[in-house]
Amino acid sequence: MEPELRDYVGELLDSGTVAGVLALKDELGAVKPYLFTKNNEIGDLVLTSKYPLASVMSMLQKEDPSIKLAIVCRGCDERALIELAKRNQINLDNIVFVGIPCDEEMADKCNCLQPYPKEIVTGEKLSNWVPKNNYEDFKNMSTEEKLIFWKGQLEKCNKCYGCRNACPLCFCSDCELENALWVKHGRLPPEFPIYHVIRAFHLAGKCVGCGECENACPVGIPLMTLNHLLREDIKDLFGYMTGQDIEDENPINTKEEY
Amino acid sequence: MKYDNILTTCPYCGCGCKYYIQVINGVAKGVMPCKEDPVSEGKLCIKGWNVVDFVYSEGRLTKPLIKENGKFREASWDEAYNLIVSKFKKIKEQHGPQAFGLLSSAKTTNEENYLMQKFARSIIVTNNVDHCARLCHASTVAGLAAAFGSGAMTNSIPEFEDADCFLITGSNTTEQHPLIGSRILRAKERGAKIILVDPRLIQLAKFADIHLRQKPGTDVAWLNGLMYVIIKDGLVDEEFVKNRTENYEKLKKEVMNYPPEKVEEITGVPKEDIISAAHIFGNAKTASIIYSMGITQHTTGVDNVKSCANLAMITGNMGKACTGVNPLRGQNNVQGACDLGALPNVFPGYQAVANGEFREKFEKAWKMDDKIPENVGLTVVEMTNEAHAGNIKCLYIMGENPMVSDPDINHVKESLESLDFLVVQDIFLTETAELADVVLPGTSFLEKDGTFTGTDRRVQRVRKAIEPLGESKPDWLIISELASRMGSSAFEYNSPKEIQDEIASLTPLYGGISYERLDDLGYLQWPCLDKDHKGTVFLHKGKFTRGLGCFFPITYKPPAELPDKEYPFTLTTGRILFHFHTGTMTRCVPKLDKEVPTGYVEIHPVDADRLGIKDGEIIKVSTRRGTINIPAYITRKVPEKIVFIPFHFKECAANILTNPALDPIAKIPELKVCACKVESIGE
Ligand code: SF4
Ligand code: SF4
Ligand code: SF4
Repeated sequence: MEPELRDYVGELLDSGTVAGVLALKDELGAVKPYLFTKNNEIGDLVLTSKYPLASVMSMLQKEDPSIKLAIVCRGCDERALIELAKRNQINLDNIVFVGIPCDEEMADKCNCLQPYPKEIVTGEKLSNWVPKNNYEDFKNMSTEEKLIFWKGQLEKCNKCYGCRNACPLCFCSDCELENALWVKHGRLPPEFPIYHVIRAFHLAGKCVGCGECENACPVGIPLMTLNHLLREDIKDLFGYMTGQDIEDENPINTKEEY
Repeated sequence: MKYDNILTTCPYCGCGCKYYIQVINGVAKGVMPCKEDPVSEGKLCIKGWNVVDFVYSEGRLTKPLIKENGKFREASWDEAYNLIVSKFKKIKEQHGPQAFGLLSSAKTTNEENYLMQKFARSIIVTNNVDHCARLCHASTVAGLAAAFGSGAMTNSIPEFEDADCFLITGSNTTEQHPLIGSRILRAKERGAKIILVDPRLIQLAKFADIHLRQKPGTDVAWLNGLMYVIIKDGLVDEEFVKNRTENYEKLKKEVMNYPPEKVEEITGVPKEDIISAAHIFGNAKTASIIYSMGITQHTTGVDNVKSCANLAMITGNMGKACTGVNPLRGQNNVQGACDLGALPNVFPGYQAVANGEFREKFEKAWKMDDKIPENVGLTVVEMTNEAHAGNIKCLYIMGENPMVSDPDINHVKESLESLDFLVVQDIFLTETAELADVVLPGTSFLEKDGTFTGTDRRVQRVRKAIEPLGESKPDWLIISELASRMGSSAFEYNSPKEIQDEIASLTPLYGGISYERLDDLGYLQWPCLDKDHKGTVFLHKGKFTRGLGCFFPITYKPPAELPDKEYPFTLTTGRILFHFHTGTMTRCVPKLDKEVPTGYVEIHPVDADRLGIKDGEIIKVSTRRGTINIPAYITRKVPEKIVFIPFHFKECAANILTNPALDPIAKIPELKVCACKVESIGE
């Protein structure tokens, strides 16, 4: 997959279609997001590992709104870009999507609902993919058991805000998690359950299931359980799935004039 | 457009998380965790996430400053260097090299610490060089070196994941070392047992299997108590004691004076809890002792540390994975500053200055005509005392802020004011820099190359992400330029890489460490003896560094100052999650300042009620050293009769109150216990 992809993006650079390609680079035994601007660097472009590239893209566009860039993106990156665009956080016209599918191992690791973008330039989409974990264990708990479960989990919180910082859809410059009206400042752990509930609910209809929040959580709080259940609710209640098409109206985004 | 991520090491705590700095067109924009980093695994604490903000904060020094008529004015580097060189030479001529003191820094790189002690020993020709490790883990270095032969954390951070039992004492791990705390929580979910010994109800208390809330300063007593039960109930690892240790009979004799009833009387911990804790620890397959300043910052700091070593050895929890005695070092590079000889008694790699062979080796390598003195130099607190007495005339301080960090600040201030000449090299105009004659602007970790050594002896690269701000210069360059102007030809370096190579050639512990290898491997844990050595994950495997592990029988001694009629409370101090050390870095980060904008004193509701104190009210806390006004935080986190103050905040500085009484061996002050008075002032 990698050699074909390198050729493909090399061509985008050479032809001047884009000024740079946002992708992952192998360096110092680790993998990092990087903006490739020259064809001769492309040899270090890799597809392993996963980083919130949509957030990086949004940051780059803010730096230079007119710049045209390509992004090597997985399903979740694409969905995040689409949801960001619906909220005027990104300009899709200046982005060239270079889609890649996730393999089974990766899709399993993320328990992903949709491990591929709409169009891919190389590799193959997993066919008939259904994620293994349906959170049945959790759903079968009584309300009381759920309360005990979450209490035990959320008391571990280190208030690093990492779940928010890593999330491509958490873009508000004034974050309600930092508003003392809801969450007392300087307390560890943050008050139960408001801190985590605010974040979960603010992501309803936004969350694209990329898993970056849970990956960033130093204490292993199963944040994806919350996200998954909320995504199910949004689907059941409104028939809405995030990140599918820029034209799909988001049920929770109000567009009323007032 | 240029967008890149530079892999570097966190400048805050000793966990040593590596992460990326996101740089757009030469400007640092934020942090991106590194998922492949073995310590952080792509997770960070709030300080790490927001690290970039302090680097660009308005208070950064960007030009040298010279004080004239009590006021600072900006100066050129030439002017500043010339002034320093002429003053240094004059003071050396008039009062000799022993009138100098140099403070190196646990915040700067290994290379810079190496150069600072090289400057002290070869340019000034004094061993009066020390740094703030004196205030946090001097007792660890002394205690563990005596018991095991090496003063460092024995095991490694990733091993915590798999330990069966933790004894955590004097470490508020989830706040001070978040990425170690998180591993303890994960281990707990896997079934590991946690014994917490701490007077306060810290976050970990909720996860502890048993929580012993001892009276501050009674650690030797409960440690001896645990060993009493372990010996009495046959939980000693006889095999280990027989083959690997010496002096056991003496230890046993002493420990047998501490039955649980007596320990309860001294420590206030119910005897049943002492017994259960001893059973949990003694029965665990692998048990790891984790401690921090709650153990070390006492007049009995070395005793406390030796007692921890005793406990680990009688249960055979040494020299294997997931065990050991694990002091968590507070600052990013306090381990490195010690390793590189920023201490008055040792050269880099703990090579004693008293040893003539070592002195000769360094004199030769450093192209010296003078002889390095064989006498051990002065420690931090001794330097201030000697300055006060008029014997130290000149201090050169790099990246330290004794005006907030040291005990009894009023005394520190008088001492610094009585100097003939004070040079401070820092990135901010700290409370200490305010008192200087010349201030030199160093750079932050983002603007230089180097290495830091994390708490588990993990040497990692610091990589330059942006250019130095204004006219500031990396500290290694400042020291080198100053040394050259003092007439030395042994400080000519093109880059820190060359300094690291010199370190490797003179320091067996770091012998195999080079930038090339660090780029390849990500980190190396010392001892790393040569270029083929893989480094050392845990120490004392098969054999202790000193041969046999040595037991020290320890008798309990009460703290230097106990509550009395006039000062009825016990004051204990510490750090919190949202700030770091003297706050110079964290307090200019908006997101951290928002969480905790100023200091507070934690006081139990019963005490508050009795004194008529309301939550948030400004109250007066005084000790024999001084008085501060500070908001009250009424909480059951502290027991009755004990108050806690975080020491980060200069406007209500805990260290105006603390007791400078020293541990006789390590010279660490008793920052963790003193007697105080709490009063409402009706505000
Ligand atoms: S909430 Fe978590 S899974 Fe959902 S978009 Fe944000 S980071 Fe991704
Ligand atoms: S990432 Fe985890 S620890 Fe950090 S704030 Fe979110 S839930 Fe809490
Ligand atoms: S302060 Fe410590 S735990 Fe937090 S990011 Fe830095 S090294 Fe990691």
